[in-house]
Parts: sequence; structure tokens; C-alpha cells
Amino acid sequence: MNLLAFNLPLVALIPFLGAPIAAWAARFNRLASAWVAGIVTFLSLLILMPVVHIPFDNDTLIQSWSWLPALGLDFAFRLDGLSLLFSFLILLIGLLVILYARYYLSPQDSMGRFFAYMLMFMGSMLGIVLSENLIQLVIFWELTSLTSFLLISYWQYSQDARDGARMALTITGAGGLAMLAGVLMIGNIVGSFNLTDVLASGDLIRQNEHYLTVLVLILLGVFTKSAQFPFHFWLPHAMAAPTPVSAYLHSATMVKAGIFVLARLFPVLSGTEAWGWLVGGAGMITMVLGAYTALFKHDLKGLLAYSTISHLGLITLLFGFSTKLAAVAAIFHIINHATFKASLFMVAGIIDHECGTRDMRKVNGLLKYMPHTAVLAMIAASAMAGVPLLNGFLSKEMFFQQSLVATDHHPLSWAIPIIVTFGAVFSVAYSLRFIHDVFFNGEPQGLTKTPHEPPRFMRIPVDILVLLCLGVGMVPVLIVAPILTVAVAASLQGVPPDYSLAIWHGFNLPLLMSSIALVFGAIVYFYREKLFRWHDENLPRVDAKTLFNRVTHGLLVLSGKISRLFDRGSLQNAISWVLLSGVAATLYGFLQFDSPLFGDRTLLDANLLTMVQVGILIVASILTAVMHHKRLVALIIIGVIGLIVSLGFVKFSAPDLALTQLSVEVVTIVLLLLALFFLPQHSPQERSHKRLTRDLVLSVSAGVTVMLLAMAVMTRDYSSISGFFLENSKPGGGGTNVVNVILVDFRGFDTLGEIVVLALAGLGIFALLENLRLPAPLRDIDGREWSHDPHPPIMQTLTRLLFPLMLMVAVFIFMRGHNLPGGGFIAGLIAAVALISQYLANGIAWTNARIKVDMHKVIAIGLTAAFVTGFAAMFLSYPFLTTTFTYLKWPIVGKFEIASAMIFDLGVFLVVVGATVLILVELGKLSHASHSLAQQEKK
Amino acid sequence: MNYQVPNMLFALPEMVMLAMACVVLLFVAFTGNRKIQWSYGLSQLSLFAVLMTVIFSWGDTGTTFSATYIKDSLSDILKIAICLINMCVLLYSVEYLRARQLLQGEFYVLALFATLGMLIMVSANHFLTLYLGLELLSLCLYAMVAMHRDSVIATEAAMKYFILGAIASGMLLYGMSIIYGITGSLMLQEVAAAVYSSSSSDTILSFALVFIIIGIGFKFGAVPFHMWLPDVYHGAPTAITLFIAAAPKVAAFALLIRLLVDGLIDLQTYWQPMLMLMAVLSMIIGNVVAIAQTNIKRMLAYSTISHVGFLLMGVLSGTDAGYAASLFYTLIYALMTLATFGVILLMSRYGFEADNIDDYKGLSSQHPWLALLMMILMFSMAGIPPLAGFYAKLGVIKAVVDVDMMAVALIAVVMSVIGAFYYLRVIKVMYFDKTEEKCEFTYSGPAAFVLSINTLLVLALGIFPGLLMSICSTVFS
Repeated sequence: MNLLAFNLPLVALIPFLGAPIAAWAARFNRLASAWVAGIVTFLSLLILMPVVHIPFDNDTLIQSWSWLPALGLDFAFRLDGLSLLFSFLILLIGLLVILYARYYLSPQDSMGRFFAYMLMFMGSMLGIVLSENLIQLVIFWELTSLTSFLLISYWQYSQDARDGARMALTITGAGGLAMLAGVLMIGNIVGSFNLTDVLASGDLIRQNEHYLTVLVLILLGVFTKSAQFPFHFWLPHAMAAPTPVSAYLHSATMVKAGIFVLARLFPVLSGTEAWGWLVGGAGMITMVLGAYTALFKHDLKGLLAYSTISHLGLITLLFGFSTKLAAVAAIFHIINHATFKASLFMVAGIIDHECGTRDMRKVNGLLKYMPHTAVLAMIAASAMAGVPLLNGFLSKEMFFQQSLVATDHHPLSWAIPIIVTFGAVFSVAYSLRFIHDVFFNGEPQGLTKTPHEPPRFMRIPVDILVLLCLGVGMVPVLIVAPILTVAVAASLQGVPPDYSLAIWHGFNLPLLMSSIALVFGAIVYFYREKLFRWHDENLPRVDAKTLFNRVTHGLLVLSGKISRLFDRGSLQNAISWVLLSGVAATLYGFLQFDSPLFGDRTLLDANLLTMVQVGILIVASILTAVMHHKRLVALIIIGVIGLIVSLGFVKFSAPDLALTQLSVEVVTIVLLLLALFFLPQHSPQERSHKRLTRDLVLSVSAGVTVMLLAMAVMTRDYSSISGFFLENSKPGGGGTNVVNVILVDFRGFDTLGEIVVLALAGLGIFALLENLRLPAPLRDIDGREWSHDPHPPIMQTLTRLLFPLMLMVAVFIFMRGHNLPGGGFIAGLIAAVALISQYLANGIAWTNARIKVDMHKVIAIGLTAAFVTGFAAMFLSYPFLTTTFTYLKWPIVGKFEIASAMIFDLGVFLVVVGATVLILVELGKLSHASHSLAQQEKK
Repeated sequence: MNYQVPNMLFALPEMVMLAMACVVLLFVAFTGNRKIQWSYGLSQLSLFAVLMTVIFSWGDTGTTFSATYIKDSLSDILKIAICLINMCVLLYSVEYLRARQLLQGEFYVLALFATLGMLIMVSANHFLTLYLGLELLSLCLYAMVAMHRDSVIATEAAMKYFILGAIASGMLLYGMSIIYGITGSLMLQEVAAAVYSSSSSDTILSFALVFIIIGIGFKFGAVPFHMWLPDVYHGAPTAITLFIAAAPKVAAFALLIRLLVDGLIDLQTYWQPMLMLMAVLSMIIGNVVAIAQTNIKRMLAYSTISHVGFLLMGVLSGTDAGYAASLFYTLIYALMTLATFGVILLMSRYGFEADNIDDYKGLSSQHPWLALLMMILMFSMAGIPPLAGFYAKLGVIKAVVDVDMMAVALIAVVMSVIGAFYYLRVIKVMYFDKTEEKCEFTYSGPAAFVLSINTLLVLALGIFPGLLMSICSTVFS
């Protein structure tokens, strides 16, 4: 196996593998995890080494594996100059920070957790800079947000740390998602997510109509991560993290990730006016604002935080210039900023460690307590200020130079050099403050302990970094030129422009600007007391944290409002939304299309009878709605509707349906009456007019919608299957009553299923009601007691007389069912009504004493009959439920047709009778029992 | 009349399910709750048996019962998912139900019949078959929500669910009947062919579509047909909530694909904007309202609504890649929901419902493993890489970007940002908030073990999503 074939992914993944080991090692020895972290980092570096030469040969190394082809996502890594530069920064500064942190962390802090997070973060950063695939880059990007969240909240007990971490995660994570959207759009435009393809398609992307959206989305990611205005506010709050974390995250890594993407996508996105305004504008505001605010921070780390923001703004502004030389300057400043800022953070950490505070009003005159550290800090701070012979000076000169050149390209033109110098003035001022306030300016005030030099190894990282500052500042060509050249070449995707790293360029405008900055910076610092006072008195204190909290709180309030609008737990509300949406969608469809709604099938003429029927239907429906408070009345009106509907069936020559409807109507009304007994007699009044209007409008529009749609379907021609049944009913099923033949023959299987369901429903209701005892109301709503004589004698007598007659009718209907309107189902309902009227009029006890038929058995026999008919056919090797018929001569009746379907129909009959009676009698028993229960309680 | 015996093999899983459900029904009827472990074992066995029949017939495709029934790769993968999910659901629920005296045979019977309904939905090739499966499922769910009869909130939820569900089913059926009125068929392919050839009656077809989409939207719980979801999630016993939240969504995906893609693909120009509206509204309402919730079940209900919005995005793109992305999203969603409710179930114990987000205070210090699992799940739901939820979101967002619906993609991104907010709150509560009271409960046994695997699968699918995603792609190619 050739390690060189997959060493790039290894570089990024080894820290992830090392993280659990570091956490695990801490169990044995707290220093062991520091060692593990160091070794893992070193190992990563070692694995990178064999391919380091490739970028220097002007080549790009790509290692790629197919991962999610469906999404165009490869597992792909890329090493070019830019990735190499950043990898070095991440790994080398990482090593120094690990060494530093080993001394910084106190014994109470969990080493394992710290170094595990640290390694995971390092891996994520390496993943970003080494990614070839843009989506993969975003994934690592989000991982840095997550791991930085863990790092910042490392001291979980501190409220500040938790808040700061949450804010950082919210802002940067959100930015990452925006960037994801941008990357997806780039992928959509280019057709690939691989950088190689994307970098070659700069023109394609810039000319795309969505270019601006893409740019804004990507920049949202960049600006949030790199703390650019107006998203800069999370960074100072992230200072609640342990100082090694700040030194790492805010010098070389986390915040540089955004800058890295700017550099990476520079050839693709830059060069347009929008880029100039957005990137340049944000950079400039950030630079000035950061420099200005830094001066007023009394907290050492706060000063460094705003200084970081300012320098990031400077780099962003350089990229905003869109020129090649500006890109050189930007990348050069990335390196310089990383070195001096990391060392300054470390110094701040040392001071904090040794003095117990970072407040510059207390920490003074440290020069004599820690001379070595003081010298280092002064050099680094001077580099930050841009003092000659230090690295910061060189890149700042280039920056000034570019700010002058950019006048030609940039819309902000003439103002740039002035604003830039203004920012530099404050940069010098706060650097001066860092030096003067901390190391001179009298004696330390109110410190709990006497400061002294830190342990030697804690200082070594600072030594190294400051040496680099000096080295780069004095002999840049030797130290930084090679890597800078390849990094620039990679960023520009072309030959780097000619630039000079010389320390002395002669007297020119940039030098003048530098001098102005240095002189005025000193003056500003000199008058700082007045300035502080003026600042405190006149400028409003805008704390982004309260703003952030207000925004999140506002979101919460908004959310609550929307909840109350939609989530009231009211069923009526929910139903009205559903109906409203339905009507709205239909209305939209109606307005959208111009094809005719109705077909051209002619409608039947309306005659007087129909009109009367329809009129009654309408009146009854309206009355039901109006009278629904009085439930009994409403129920009776519903009965009227049912009766009219059955008349409608008669009118349209469907006597079977009419008969069924009639019998079903009777049974359901009785059923409802029985159930109504246990419910309140009146339903609540809707008092609100608004609601009544809403319901009225909604129901009318829903009704009209349904009507229109029904009309639309009915006015179209359709082919009906009724012709088939009409033709085949007699020859195939032996009956002229098509409905009945369909029920027992053509669709016998369906009917079988239906009667099984009916039987089960009967049994189910029986099981539910069998042992149920419900207390019934003692009095009705008007305070009257229920009548104790539920069985009036006249009715008793009448129903007893009617009983045999009704049964006769049932038999008649059943027998003629096959040819004339009727059939088992209707007959069953009629018989059931006959039985139920006995129960109603004579009482359950009386009737049960006389009709000793167990309805369970009736159901069982009915089902058996139906099934037997079906299986009988199978025995004669016909399919299940095949029927046959023949003709018999009866004495008086004459020729009579007898079909095997009749036995099936008998089954239907029995099941209907059994189930209906069972259900209703059980309900009757229930109300009876509850009556006696109520009576007992009364006694 | 000619009569052909249908090829029953294509419907073997459903038959096994039906037979086993009847066996369990009889067993429960005769033993009551005395041998409830046996009912449990039998139910698991039934699901396992169905799973095996699907797995062993993997790859066979065809239709049966006069082409009203179909077996294809979509139905296979969804059936496997449904069986696996429900096996986990039953496993996670045992202790919870036992502690509340809800561990009754009815639960298993209803669960199995509901599963049968889902299987039928997944394999339906006919409007009525679809409806049949849907109603079988829905009726079981209504009953399950009401199973805790002494709980006012549960019965109220069941009532609302039933009434709204009935309205939605009615609308769906109404839409189908209009379709039938116009095309003269209810067979998916025939309807598709009829729609393809008829352009004159677009208006009326689009009306039918409205009703069908309302039905689908309701079953998914997409805004504005989501009203039932928070109440039901909140009101039902957590085990039942889990049952409703997981597998039925997978079945609803089949409903969506069969109706809109298989049946009415030529009306895409009409259903696309409707789905888009539902997707966008669901993402917005779901995410924004979830923020204000203090009850975790209610929060997850709204989170479900927002996930539905994401899921619909893939389908509305109208491309094969989009359908595959939606399928992937559905499966991942089910996996995450399963594990999240699994954690809630583990934490609930006798006399205590881990219902409020505040109940999770200090979980990390007392049960670090459980807190870690929950953290993984919350991050995954928020769509943070490298967890499975991220790829799910990525897939559907990419699907709409590919058809140039930038605005929808942007809304989706913004909404995932807002969504991250409330998931993070759970993590914050677990890790940062301290509690005085000690949550004394122990968890062990197979449920915790499977739950861990389930959660780690979310992580594993985040690192290696390729296999599942390629399966999803082959289904639609």
C-alpha cells in the first residue's frame, strides 16, 4: 500500500483519530494527553511532508475517491500552495499552542477533554484547507463551528463561556449553512463541486444571473466566520475561552477559515463591482471599527479581540481590491497576523496566569517583573502596529500601496487611503497602549499575587513566534518568499505578479502613510485619557450581546404569536383551516385556468315535484344548522332530510335505494335517539358573531365549491358500467332486479365482506356496552323528571298488532327481491324495525320473554349461510360464490324462480336483523339500566 | 366468466402479516393480558417473518390482483424500513407501556393491523387499494391514540385526530372520485395514460388534484393541514406517538409517490406549486413555532412538520434525483425520530413522563451515554455534518437547486438555521443546565442496546451515506 496515495485525507483525519486517544490517555496521566496531542499533530505534519515539494513544483496534488455520486460528492483532497500555507500555519501554530496549553491549564481543568477538542478542531481546519470538493469543505467548515463551540465552552461552569460559545455557534453555524446554499448554487452553475472545475469556471459564474445570490451566500459564510462587520460581535464574546484556544482560533485558524475561502474562490468570484462593494466595504468598516474599538477595551484579550477583527477587516479589504498584488498583500498579511497575534494572545495568557487579571487598568509596569516576556510582547505589538523591520510593517506597506493603486478600480476610490490611514492610526494607538499600559505606566495595582516570569517552556512558543516576526521582517526573501509565492499562485490560479519584499522602497506615499499612522497613533495614545472620557460620555454603548439576545428573544415572541394563531388546540379552528385551504386552492385553480368548468352534457329538466323536494331539503338543512342547539329537534329534522332523499331515489327510479334509505333512516334515528339520552340536551351556543360569520362564509363557500365540482363532473360524458349489468342481470344472475343481482351475485364477495363487517360491528358494540353503566340525567333540561311510564298502552297494543304484518312485509320483500325492488338487506332492515318497535313499545323484559332468540346465533347462522353458499360453488368446482338458478312451479303463485343466491340473501337478511337488533337492544338496555341506577341513587 | 388465480406471491408479505395479525388477535382474545410477553414475542416474530419474506423476494417485480397491487423496488425498500422501524418501536415501548398499565394485547393487534395498512399502501397500484391501506392504518392509529382511556388529553387528541382525519380522507376520496369521473379508471397507470392524452379537462383535473393533495398533506402533517399533529404527538402516550411518528411517514411517502408521480405525473405543473407552498409553509411554521415549545413532544411535532417540508422539496423538484433524495430523507427522518423517541421512552418511567425539555436538565452528568446519544440525534435533526440529517437536507436542497428553484432552497437554508436553534436548546439543557433533583432511573437491556445502535447508525450513515443513497437512487432510475 502506497501511503502517498492517500496521505492527504490522513493528514486531516489523524487528528480525529487522535482525539479519543488523547481523551483516553488523560485517565492515566493528565500530561499524557498533551503528549498525545503533540505527537498526533507532529504525525500529521510528518505525513504531509513527502508531498510538500509538489506545490513548489507548480503542481497540484489531488487525491479523490467517489463517495456520494448521487449528490456529486467526492471524497477529494487537494494540495496546492494555498492549502500548504494554511496547513503549515494550522499544524505549526497548533504544535506551539499545545505546548503552551500544557502549562497554561490548571490541574482542575480536564486535560483530556481539552486536547481531544483541540485535535478535532485541528482536523476540521485541515479538512477545510485541504478539501478539493466544495461540499466536503462546507462539512469541515461546520465541524469547525461545532468543535469551536466545544472549545469556547470549555469552562462550562462559566455563564460567559456558555453564552459566548452559543453565540459563536449560532452565528458561524448559520453562516456555514448559507455558504452551503451558495456552494450548491455554484455546483449547479458549474456542474461540479470540485475545485479544479470550479476554479476554471470563473467567467461562467460571474456571468450567471444568480451570481449576486451566490456571492452574498458565500460571503455570509465568510463574514460570519471571519468576524466581519456586521457579524463581528461574536468574536469578543468568544474570549471567554481559555487563552490557548483564543491564541489558536483567533490568530491562525477559525477566523482565517473565512479568509481562506475568500482566497480560494478569489479567481471565481472577484473582479466584479458587487464583489468590490461587498467585500471591500465590509472589510473597510470592520478594519476601522475594530481598530477604533480596540483602543477603548481595558481587557487585554478584549483589545486583542478587536485588533483581530480589525486585521481581518484589513485582509478582507485587500481581497476586495480584486487586484493580484492586493491578493499577494492579503496572503502575506495572513501569515504575519497569525504569527504576531498568536504570540500576543499567548502573552496575554501569561499575564493573566501570573497576575490573575487582564484588566489593563490594574496590570501596569510589568517590565521589571517579567522582562523577557515584556520584550517579546513589545516586539510582537510593534509588528502589529507596523513598525519597520518587523513583519507587520512589510505587509502594511503593501496594503497602503494597494489602497493607493486601488483608486483606479474601486468605487470607493479617493476615500480609501484616508480611511485606511485613519484605521492605521488607531492600530498604532492600541498597540502602543498594549505596550505602555501593561509594561510601563507605573506599578501594578491591586494584584493578588506578585507576577513573575512564566515557566520556560510556556514561553518558548512565544519566543519562536516572535523570532519569526523578526525574521520575516528583516529577511523576508529568505524566510517567507517561497511559500508566499506558491500560495499566491494557487490563490490566483495563475502566475503571481511581480512584487518586491524589500524592506526599503525609498520615500513614497505608503511610507508617508506609515509615518502618519505612527505619529498620529502616538498622539492619539497620548491624549487617550480625554478620548476615553469623550468616548464614555458621548457614544452609546452598543453591546452586540444584548442585541443578539434581543433578536433571539424576539424570535421566541414571534414564535409564540404564531403558535397562538395556529395552535389553539381548537378543533373548529383546525377544521376551518383545512376547509379554507381547500376552498382557496380550488378558487385559485378556478381563476388560473380558462378551460370551461362544465361539460356539454345536457341536464335534466327541473319539474315542480323536484323543485319541491329540493326546497324541502334546503329548508330542512338550514333548519338543522339553526336548530342544532336543541338536539332532539335537530335530529327529527335530519330524519326529514333522510326521507326526502329516499323520495329522491324514487323520483330517479331507484326503488331499491329508496327502500333501503327509508329503513336505514328509521334505524339510525332510533340509534341516535338512544345515544342522545346520555348527552347534554342542548349544545353550547356560539355567542361570537365573528365566529358565526366565519363559519357561515366558510360553509357556504365549501358547499358552493362542492356543488360546482359535482356539476363539472356530471356535465361531462362518462361511460357507465350500468349497461353491462342491465344486460347480464337476467341471463347471468337470473334476476331482473339489477341492484339485488349485483348485491348477491356480481358483487357477492363485496356483500359477504360487508355483512362480516356488520356482524363484527354488532358484536363489537355488544362487547363495549355489555358491562357499561352510565349515570343518566335524572331530569331533563327544564327540570322535569323523566316519565315513569315509558310504554303507553295504546302504542303497546298497536305495535303488537302490527308486528306480524311487518314481518309479512319483510318476507314479501325478501322473496320478490331478485326480480322486483327488495332483497335481503331491505327485508332485514324491515324485520329489524318490526322487532325494535316491540322493544320500544313493550319494553325489553316483555319482548325478551316472548322472543327467545339469541341474536348472536342469528348473526352466526346468517354468516354461515352466506359462506356455505360460497363454498358450495367451490365444491362443484366453480369459483367461490358462483350462483345458479332454476324455476319452480308453486301452487298458487305460479312459476317462481329460485336461485342459489337466495340462500346467500337469506344470510344477508339474518345478519342485518341480528346485528341491528343486537346493537339497538344493547343501547336500550343501557339506558334502561341507567334509569334504574338513577332511581336507586335517588332513593 | 374467466377466472384466474392471482399471483399471491407478490402479496406474500401482506398475507403473512394478515395471518399473523389474526393469530395475535386470537391469542390475545383467549389469553387476555396474562401472557403479554407472548403476544409481544409473537408480534415481533410476525414483523420479522414479513421482513424475511420481503428480503427473500428482493428484486422480483410485478403486479397482481388484476394489477391493483404492485411489487417493485420502492415497495420492497419501504416495506423493509417499515418492518424494521416497527420492530424497534415495539421494543422501545414495552417498559413504558408496562409502567402505565397500557401493555395490553390490543396495542399489538392494532400495531400489526396498522403495519398491514402501511404495507398495503406501499404496494398499492390502484387508487382504491391505496385508500384501503390508508384507512386501515388510520383507523388503527385513531384507536391507538385513544388507548389510554383515562387520560383526558389523549382522548381529546384522538377525537380531533379522528374528525380531522375523516375530513381529510373524505377529501382524498372525493378527489379520487373526480379523477374517476374524468378518466374512467382508478388504476394508476391507466389514470396516468388518460391524463396524458386529455388536455381539455385540465381545470377539473386540477381540482381533483387539490383534494388529493389535501389528503396527502394531512397524512404527512404538512402546513396548513398540520393541526392534528401537535395535539396528537402531545396527547398520545409517548410509545404511541413514536408509532405514529415513524413508520406511517414512510408509508405516506409511498402515498405521495404513487399518487403524484406514478399516477398524475403529467399534472406536475399543477402539483408542483401546491407542494412548494406546503413545503415552504411547513418549513417556516414548523421551525418557527417549535422554538416556543417547552414540551419536547410538541417540539418534535413541529420539528416533524418542518421535516415534512424538507421531504416535500425533493418530490416537488419532479426529478428522479429529487424523489431519491426525498426517499433518503424519509428513511433518515424515521431513523432519527425512532431514536429520539426511544430516548424519551427510556427516560420516562413509572409516574414520570420525560415530556418537558426541562426534564433533561443535567442529563449529561447523570447519564452521559444517553445524553451523548440525544446530542447526536439533535445535531443530526438540525442537519449538522457529519451526521445523517445533513446529507438528507443536502440531497433535497440540491434537488431544488438543480431545477433552479433558488428561492425555495434559500428558504430551506434559512429555516434550517432557525431549526438549529431549538435543537441546540435541548443540548444546552442537557449539558449546561444543572439540576438539584436526581433523575433516578436505570436503563439496560435490549432496548437500550438497540437504541444505541440505532443512534450510532445515524452517525455511521453520516460518515458513509453512500450505500443507502445509492439504493435510493436505484429505486427511481
